[in-house]
Amino acid sequence: MVTKGRLKMALAHEKGVDFKKLHQKKVAKQASKKKQSKTGGAAKDGEAEEWEDEEEETKGGAPIDDEDDEDDSEDDDEEGHDVAAYLDDSASSDSEVEMEEKIARVRQPKQSELKQKANNKKAVAAVEEDEEDDDEEDPEEDIALEDLEDLSDAEKEDLVPHQRLTINNTTALEAALKRISIATDKSVPFKSHMTLSSVEPTADNIPDVMDDLKRELAFYGQALETVKQARSLLKAENVPFSRPKDYFAEMVKDDGQMEKVKARLIEEASAKKASAEARKLRDLKKFGKQVQVNKLQERQKAKKETLDKIKTLKRKRAENSGDLGTHEADLFDVGIEEELGKPDRKRGADRSGDRPNNKRMKKDQKYGFGGKKRHSKSGDAISSGDLSGFSQKSMKQGTKGKPPKTARLGKSRRNAGKR
Amino acid sequence: MGGAYKSLNGSEKGDAASANGPARKQKSRVLIVPSRGVTYRHRHLINDLHSMMPHSKRDVKWDNKGKLYELCELAEMSNCNNLLYFEARKGQDLYMWLSRVPNGPTVKFHCQNMHTMEELHFVGNALKGSRPVLSFDAAFDKEPYLKVIKQLFLQTFGVPEGARKSKPFIDHVMAFSIADGKIWIRVYQINETEAKAQTGEDGETEKTSSKNRTKETDINLLEVGPRVTLTPVEGSFGGPIIYENKGVHLPNQVRADLRRQQAGKHNARSEQFVERLAKKGDLGLRTHGGKKMPTDALDSRELFA
Repeated sequence: MVTKGRLKMALAHEKGVDFKKLHQKKVAKQASKKKQSKTGGAAKDGEAEEWEDEEEETKGGAPIDDEDDEDDSEDDDEEGHDVAAYLDDSASSDSEVEMEEKIARVRQPKQSELKQKANNKKAVAAVEEDEEDDDEEDPEEDIALEDLEDLSDAEKEDLVPHQRLTINNTTALEAALKRISIATDKSVPFKSHMTLSSVEPTADNIPDVMDDLKRELAFYGQALETVKQARSLLKAENVPFSRPKDYFAEMVKDDGQMEKVKARLIEEASAKKASAEARKLRDLKKFGKQVQVNKLQERQKAKKETLDKIKTLKRKRAENSGDLGTHEADLFDVGIEEELGKPDRKRGADRSGDRPNNKRMKKDQKYGFGGKKRHSKSGDAISSGDLSGFSQKSMKQGTKGKPPKTARLGKSRRNAGKR
Repeated sequence: MGGAYKSLNGSEKGDAASANGPARKQKSRVLIVPSRGVTYRHRHLINDLHSMMPHSKRDVKWDNKGKLYELCELAEMSNCNNLLYFEARKGQDLYMWLSRVPNGPTVKFHCQNMHTMEELHFVGNALKGSRPVLSFDAAFDKEPYLKVIKQLFLQTFGVPEGARKSKPFIDHVMAFSIADGKIWIRVYQINETEAKAQTGEDGETEKTSSKNRTKETDINLLEVGPRVTLTPVEGSFGGPIIYENKGVHLPNQVRADLRRQQAGKHNARSEQFVERLAKKGDLGLRTHGGKKMPTDALDSRELFA
């Protein structure tokens, strides 16, 4: 048990130090260390036994703390188990994950298989090689990369926004390529990869990327070139290429969608047709209008000409009327004037310029035309002062003796005249 | 079922091996995982790609943008050695991660100009699960990073020989071209038409053409869709970045720049205001603060004070 000097023991006693507990703690520490170093069930069991031994030892000494101690120790024990179990678990799972990773890592590049088999040792060895390779490639570049990364992280705000740092680690890229690449050269049959490259870079055929038509044409050309090659290669390898007419299978686009596409095509075609027709009509209409305008112009021209003719004729008549009798002029002229140059408008205008006929004028005068009609016949100062109808002579002569103005001959004379 | 398939496959494999010597069969499966927040167009695009890859498996949306390495475990669990992860950002940008599962390499692309099969209305159509001819631009063999990308494309989009749901005929081509630093993907149907006889001037030419007709047919291509343009950015799920593209304008950054520019207007104005105040102070035009002008003895205020 505890072997120390008396003085120390006394001091310890005064302070209330429990040696057993101290000891237990020490032992626990050691045990946990051991467990960490060893991760085996046997070791754990052995330690547990040790624990029990110690408990038994402690039972003899101090009865006061005994139960507590036991509890503690049991707790510790359990904890120890737990920790051990945890460690065990983690260790096993870790190893599994690692193994998986490694297997996958080797297998996919080397064997390109997905099915997992436990073929550990080779895999591990291979992986180690692989990793060594990686290490060999990486170190200098890695540092450089990290620097770059740091820089980009820290100073990204200060940099001009679009300025990205280009990383182009050629060796690493090539290593990656070597790791993943599958052969596409002539050593393997073409049907295994079906990959072809064009002879010339497509970008050479594209003058402007924004020009859709030319760009798509370049892509199409590239595809067509390779397809022609591919077909000859595949036919050489006896791979069925073209689909027979009676082979029906699910397509990428289903029937519904193809119907839609077809409907759209039809619609487009019909729309095109309709628009062409409409344009034709429009053109015709435009043309027709032009024709109409031309006709009108012609008509006006003709009219103008006839009017001119008439004018000249009239002038001629006016000139000639002095020499020849009016009769002759009338004979030549009136016909033409009547026939040609009398649109309604002109006639109306003439009439408006002329006075109305005499009868009308008389009537207007008599009954009034326009103006106030009331009291028009009542006498006024002027009418009463008008003495134009008055004459002394006629008053003195009387109506009887007055001879008629028209000199009508007497009956006998008239009859004599007839004879 | 699986057993039967395996045994069948195994026998086939044996035959192939016996026929072609040591050539081993390439076996690969692809796990397609969209992230949370993909839009319907992204989803349709993913569906289109999935429909053209019989060796692919679609998983549910992945809701953990931080821990991308967990995707590798997911792929391993579903027995896939290639991973196609579509990451949507802010409900508008789409990034495509293309990875070999356990050890990389991984490439991250920014997807632009996406057009799904449905919205393109192309007349072309292809068998579901037929193996595509992969047509690569010659530029893919120029740069090491493009070589890596080519291999990744080859193993991801190329349907391996004898894949489970693949069809025996070849009727479409997948073209990868490089233009403007971007990778343009197009899918065309291979349409075989009978070769047209040369306009019958000579009897001979017609005869030869009719002879050839049985063998040779003209090929033309009809586009099937979808269309995508990819810009390689960089990327890894963990591990060093071995390539990073300099000239990429990522949409997020562009947007941020625009916002900053707009916000900068106010800053510039307030700076100008302060500068003007300082200038005025230096000229002694401010009542409070600034420099006082030296008092002139002949100033009227001084004279008559």
